[in-house]
Amino acid sequence: MSFTLRGRIETRLAAAVLPFLVACVVAFLLRDWWPVELVGVMVGVGLVLDAFVYWRFLRYQPGWAAVPLGLLELGLTMALVRLFDIAAPLGPALWFFVGSWLVMQILGHAVLPYVRLTYAEDGGELGTSGQGLALAAATAVLAVLGTAAATQPPTYVLESGLHQGPIVLDNPQTLRGEPGAVVRGGIVITSDGVTVRDLVVVGGRNGIEVHDSTNVRLENVTISEAKMDGVHARRSSLKIKGCSVRMTGDYTQAIDISFAFDLPMSSVERCTVVGGQEGIVSHMAHVDFRRNHVRETTLRAITVSEMSMGKVSRNVVEDAVGVGVYCGDYSHCDIRHNTVRDTRANLKSSDRYTHGHAILSHFYAQATVSSNVLEGNANDMRAAPDSLIRYR
Amino acid sequence: MERSCAIVGGGLAGFVAYVTLRHGGLEPGEIAVFGTDPDPVAAWRPRAEAIRQRRMRSESDGHCYPRSFPGLAPREALRTRSAAPLVQTVCNRYRPSVQEFLRHVEELREQSGWDQSFQPHRVARVSAADGGFEVDDRGCFRHVLLAPGHPGLSLPSELASDPRTVHAYEPHGYADRVAVVGAGMAAATEWLNALAAGAEVVSVRRREPARRPLNVPRPLFSKAGLASFHAAGRAQKVELLVGFGEPSYPPGREWDEPVEWARREGRFSVSASVNGEAQVICATGFRRGFENDELLRCLVEEHELDIEQRWIVLAPDGTVAALTDSTRTLSLAGVPAQWAYPAADTLVGMKYVARRFLRKVDACRSR
Repeated sequence: MSFTLRGRIETRLAAAVLPFLVACVVAFLLRDWWPVELVGVMVGVGLVLDAFVYWRFLRYQPGWAAVPLGLLELGLTMALVRLFDIAAPLGPALWFFVGSWLVMQILGHAVLPYVRLTYAEDGGELGTSGQGLALAAATAVLAVLGTAAATQPPTYVLESGLHQGPIVLDNPQTLRGEPGAVVRGGIVITSDGVTVRDLVVVGGRNGIEVHDSTNVRLENVTISEAKMDGVHARRSSLKIKGCSVRMTGDYTQAIDISFAFDLPMSSVERCTVVGGQEGIVSHMAHVDFRRNHVRETTLRAITVSEMSMGKVSRNVVEDAVGVGVYCGDYSHCDIRHNTVRDTRANLKSSDRYTHGHAILSHFYAQATVSSNVLEGNANDMRAAPDSLIRYR
Repeated sequence: MERSCAIVGGGLAGFVAYVTLRHGGLEPGEIAVFGTDPDPVAAWRPRAEAIRQRRMRSESDGHCYPRSFPGLAPREALRTRSAAPLVQTVCNRYRPSVQEFLRHVEELREQSGWDQSFQPHRVARVSAADGGFEVDDRGCFRHVLLAPGHPGLSLPSELASDPRTVHAYEPHGYADRVAVVGAGMAAATEWLNALAAGAEVVSVRRREPARRPLNVPRPLFSKAGLASFHAAGRAQKVELLVGFGEPSYPPGREWDEPVEWARREGRFSVSASVNGEAQVICATGFRRGFENDELLRCLVEEHELDIEQRWIVLAPDGTVAALTDSTRTLSLAGVPAQWAYPAADTLVGMKYVARRFLRKVDACRSR
């Protein structure tokens, strides 16, 4: 079919109506914005390609071209989802895209030619219905943006200087620190939809505690001098990005995410962790630890344990005592593209599993490893007799 | 009931227009169809049989249904319970069989009420009158669509009186040595037919045929390409239309391989002129231009219509602008509508004109 520019845009908008409505319903049921954000990105990618690429370079579009063009749009959509950090789970997002693509094909090849006699020869234009559709689309975009703006949680700003904690955040909000803002005594989060950004936290039993909360974000926070854990999350789902945690006590953990097996996956990304008994830890949780730098821990640098499911990728672990990356206690771990160097044995311990292994699978755990760089470790990789290491 | 619409011509273009009007809500009693044979494929079928055509050149959309979807491919897929036609149509490889096409025309003829509207009469004259058009002595009609078809077979003058000559679209067999004049789809089909019948073939042609899936580039089937065609100046339009009329046939192994094998065996050759062959088959198409059609020639002369070389100048919707206003419509369909739609002689082109004719009728009826 040979589309006109207007025909492409009107057909695209017509095809977006059903996915948009479905996304609104799903968003309402999940109490989450990602379905609407996803459909917005999807339609946006399509419209940009329609206006600047397809219309110029595809004067005639055979039916089969829908497949490679669909793959192109899928790739761009998922790249933007990643870029904008839209919290769309990969599987549902892919299914949603495929479903929307199918709707578009059925609409373009069957429904619209059926209901509108001149659809094909008008280059996909929908006449007065198309104008109505464009108006409806603009209205929908404004309505969504308006609703999004109206329902955004409030933002509070901590001025430069020392603020005495613990600060308790028990409703959705964004807490942002100006340069030089320091909280002494920790932060406690007990509500969904909380974002903490650009803050220095000093001291406290735990630096930041998160309890029974989802959709929590910790961005660009610096934590030090906590007595127990730097970040201590229980029954919660959170994303930590760009943090710096320095631990000094013997039995401390820098980041501990635990008891959240039934909750959406948590992630720790681009954090620097120094010291403590354990660096980044999960117990009974879905986790994704990537691109972190962990060093100078005294038991394990990265731990995925107690029936956790975890992806550990592109991390750098250095100068750890005991174990570099540990997968233990019935956990399933995907360990790829990490660099683990200079892991030393704990000479004071009688535990044979603290003998400086770069990667260790222990107590019925299953680790899948690939493309890891292991250098200067006392021992490279080991699976306990009851555990597995698979090489991919 | 008053008959407000007349279709002059009972061939495929008239049939497509009729089916479209019926889809638009007109009753058989509101439409008069004038033609010489009640079978809409009476003219087309013997030509297809003469060249032993087995497959249509058109694709899934080459049908007479008023809606584009479902076309012949999904219907055949449903009937045969096979996904093959759907896969082929997605790849632009679906060519419905002639049998499939004829079956569909027959089915649609019965469903549409065509025979109730059909009047056996060859129309000689259509002239503008108050609030409509006089169609011979059959009355005055507010909206008239002329679909006179091709104005007869074209034979090169030097061969017209040669007893060896037969036109490709006339019934014929094959002699041992056959000259096929022409280089279009019919000629290519005749090469294969004659070779299959065991004949030696000489292709007589003045130029190499173009290899195109369709006569007209695909963008020109819809608004995207038509907009620039409609905006073109007269000289440029003429140049384009002449180009589209040059002989061509689709690319593909099914055409090339039999010819190549025959060439190796010395049974196929190319020549610039006829030279003593036992039979001369002229695959030279149809006579061109409105002046070869008595009805159109009279219409142009009587109303001093705007013309450009062999074409009647039409509005982009296929109407004769000088004789069309808010109260009446005169449209041309089929090959005479090329000025509005370059592929007007295809089924898609016939539907293009028919749908716009229906719009005119609807707009007038609603007042």
